Amino acid sequence: MGLAAIAMVAVLSGCGKVPQEKIDAANAAITAAQTAEAAVYVPAEFAAVQDSMKAIMAEVEVQNGKLFKKFGPVSTKLDETLAAATQVTANAAVKKEQVKKEVETLMTEVKAVIAENTTLMKKAPRGKEGAAVLEAMKTDMATIEASVTEAQGLYDKGAYMDADNKVKAAKERAVGINTELKDAIAKVKKK
Amino acid sequence: MRRFWKWIGLFVIVALFIAATILLLFHYAPVPPIEEVELARNALSEASVNKADTYSKKLYNQATIYYDSAMVNWHRENGKIFYFRDYEKVIKFARLSAGKAMEAGENSKTSSSGLKTRLKQRIESLTTLVAEINELFNNYPLSEETHSRISRGKMLLEEATVAYNKAMYLQANRKITDSEYLLTESFKSATENLKNYFSSFSLWKKWINLTVNESKRNNDYSIIIDKFSRKCFVYYNGKQKYEFDAELGINWVGDKRVKGDKATPEGMYTITKKFDGRKTRYYKALLLDYPNDEDTVRFKAEIKNGSLPPSAKIGGLIEIHGDGGRGIDWTEGCVALTNREMDLVYRIVKVGTPVTIVGSMVDLDNIVNR
Repeated sequence: MGLAAIAMVAVLSGCGKVPQEKIDAANAAITAAQTAEAAVYVPAEFAAVQDSMKAIMAEVEVQNGKLFKKFGPVSTKLDETLAAATQVTANAAVKKEQVKKEVETLMTEVKAVIAENTTLMKKAPRGKEGAAVLEAMKTDMATIEASVTEAQGLYDKGAYMDADNKVKAAKERAVGINTELKDAIAKVKKK
Repeated sequence: MRRFWKWIGLFVIVALFIAATILLLFHYAPVPPIEEVELARNALSEASVNKADTYSKKLYNQATIYYDSAMVNWHRENGKIFYFRDYEKVIKFARLSAGKAMEAGENSKTSSSGLKTRLKQRIESLTTLVAEINELFNNYPLSEETHSRISRGKMLLEEATVAYNKAMYLQANRKITDSEYLLTESFKSATENLKNYFSSFSLWKKWINLTVNESKRNNDYSIIIDKFSRKCFVYYNGKQKYEFDAELGINWVGDKRVKGDKATPEGMYTITKKFDGRKTRYYKALLLDYPNDEDTVRFKAEIKNGSLPPSAKIGGLIEIHGDGGRGIDWTEGCVALTNREMDLVYRIVKVGTPVTIVGSMVDLDNIVNR
């Protein structure tokens, strides 16, 4: 009799189907977000989607363990997560594009500063310690140019965040030299 | 009719029995590990917020693996008939996951905050080092390689600062480590070079004292050239009267050894001739008695010990002359002043006026601490 009861429960517990297609779709959307480098460009949003998926899978197991399974709410949550993951992919693309544009702008700006510095070098005073300082500046300028080339390489590879950091640093250095040169020229003019 | 009621009774008993059995089975069935798994998931989420996946990667990965194991086991147990399910492993993995995730979160908070503090200190310390390098070696001819290493070190320091400001501490840490290596090694080697340069300081000091005393004793002019500071000091009656910027030979570091080495000699000399007008290419010039006896002895010793080839010549024609003010070291080994300064010096000195050329009038410690 006990076995009959167990068999009955087993039959009953077979009711309600795991929304596998939706689970697969949500997982695929999360993978797509990962491929879109959501972890790099929108890390908090991406972590939230991953977290939701984990909670859903736990809920699936909760329902799997029940006699009368009810996957309705899970299914709704999966729809929401799918939409969220798709949104995260889109947001990552937007953010990536923003960083890309920023790198392009910075690249143009730093190249302009380098060009200006080259012109200023010719006008810079060579008296006293000037020439020695100019020699050091020339080396610095060569390093900055090499750094810009590296940043361009990273940009070409699509590593916009790394390129952004590199070109920002290059610009800081170039602007620093620009200020030094302008100050030196202004001092001479004052005299 | 009686029989009917008998069957009904039996049916009710059987139904009650089945219901009671089901209830008992459910009552004693294992409880799903919902709370434990939720706790683990929340701990993982918290750890992720605290960037444990970056700053405590190993622990965070372990926590994730335990969580996945818990889920796999839960799924497996759910595949069994409920009465035969055993969630012990699920609970064990979930608890392990929660423990590791909490540890990872705490560890991440501590290490990212510690790293942030250390990075700030390292950036500040390297910024100071860069300022020191600029101050000390602005005029000192470092090798192209050293210049390039310093320059790359500065660029990496800037990149580290950018990463630090974006709270990308691991990236900043990598950059600062590379920068630190380049800057400290360059500084070390440049300082070593500088120490070698200053190894003759006690001798220079002696020459300076002799020259100043001679000026005082004779109540006359003496000239001291400080190569490191690129200065020409004119003393009268033991007191410094004039100070001019001086320009030296291209390879001014170290003593002159041989003709054509474009080095400015170090030693105690006197003016042997005064040239002006067409007698010199450099406006006005004061010829020194280089090589003196000490220079000749040293030169011969170098030929003898083979450090100079037998065909080497000691050179000469070392002067203090005009046409300076270019801001660079450009002479063949002479000391150049501006024509205006040369006019003054030319006017006040005479043949026999002592001219002492030293590596530096100030010792290295004082220069470093200046």
